[in-house]
Amino acid sequence: MPTRTNENWLSDLRATGAARESALEDLRAVIQKGLPYALSRWLSPDQPQFNSLVEEVTQETLLRVLDQLDTFEGRSQFTTWVHKIAVRIALTELRRKRWRDSSLDELTENEDVPPPPGLLADSQAGPETSAERADMLERVRRIIEEELTDRQREALILLGVKDIPMEDAAHKLKTNRNALYKLLHDARVRLKSRLSMEDIAPHEVLSLFETK
Amino acid sequence: MNIKELIQKFRASLGMQKELPNEAVLGFLRVLEEVRAEELDCDEIYAKLDEYVECQAGTHDAAQLMPLIREHLDLCPECCEEYEALLNVIEEAEEK
Repeated sequence: MPTRTNENWLSDLRATGAARESALEDLRAVIQKGLPYALSRWLSPDQPQFNSLVEEVTQETLLRVLDQLDTFEGRSQFTTWVHKIAVRIALTELRRKRWRDSSLDELTENEDVPPPPGLLADSQAGPETSAERADMLERVRRIIEEELTDRQREALILLGVKDIPMEDAAHKLKTNRNALYKLLHDARVRLKSRLSMEDIAPHEVLSLFETK
Repeated sequence: MNIKELIQKFRASLGMQKELPNEAVLGFLRVLEEVRAEELDCDEIYAKLDEYVECQAGTHDAAQLMPLIREHLDLCPECCEEYEALLNVIEEAEEK
């Protein structure tokens, strides 16, 4: 494969005929070389779905790269930018598949969350500690209830308790991941400010639960 | 039925929401220390991720040079996964 500068990649991909075909073939090889490393935490090459996922992601990445070529600003190697696009597509697909396969039915059918074990009913904690924990938790919970909108509250439960990927939580809330992040960020800033006004330090509350 | 359950039943009968589970409250508190008023969102992180990863894979301390990106990665599990996956690609695939 010829070594291309960023400018070479851009001009070859914008060209027609053999130069473009060759650049596309090389780019396909670059993407397919990187994907096993991108996916290594979730999927190994000997798993049956590996090849089809890599092929699907490669196709989609090539399409997106060509579509977004004009947005490349040259602040990194062109191939790093392409790998970034491939990673986003691959992980989005993996998260979707993982979540769809595991617990979408459970999510829609069972809205009740089982009580977390051992938070308040810690057998090793003395009665004073338990009471202190319960009081503090109730105080913070009340503040959260007062400060958060229903939508922020819903997002908090989906992400913090049910452990749903952001993409899926965003889909469920009929928004997108970016807007969901902003929603949570606003909630966090608001809550941090209110806790500070009430003279409650988050790490002090947490320390009540982390020490026995 | 204890008092807490009675209150929940009463709230439910009034159409009010159930109270937040304890783990949601604690999970929320865990990230608060990291939160800054000024912050980049996921789209802004995505736009800069390739640059950040190259910086990290090189000899630079990316977190020090671009602290807002590091802060977002610490708070956002999905962006962090993408960062780690891309770093792995650049460190492993590009060397071979």
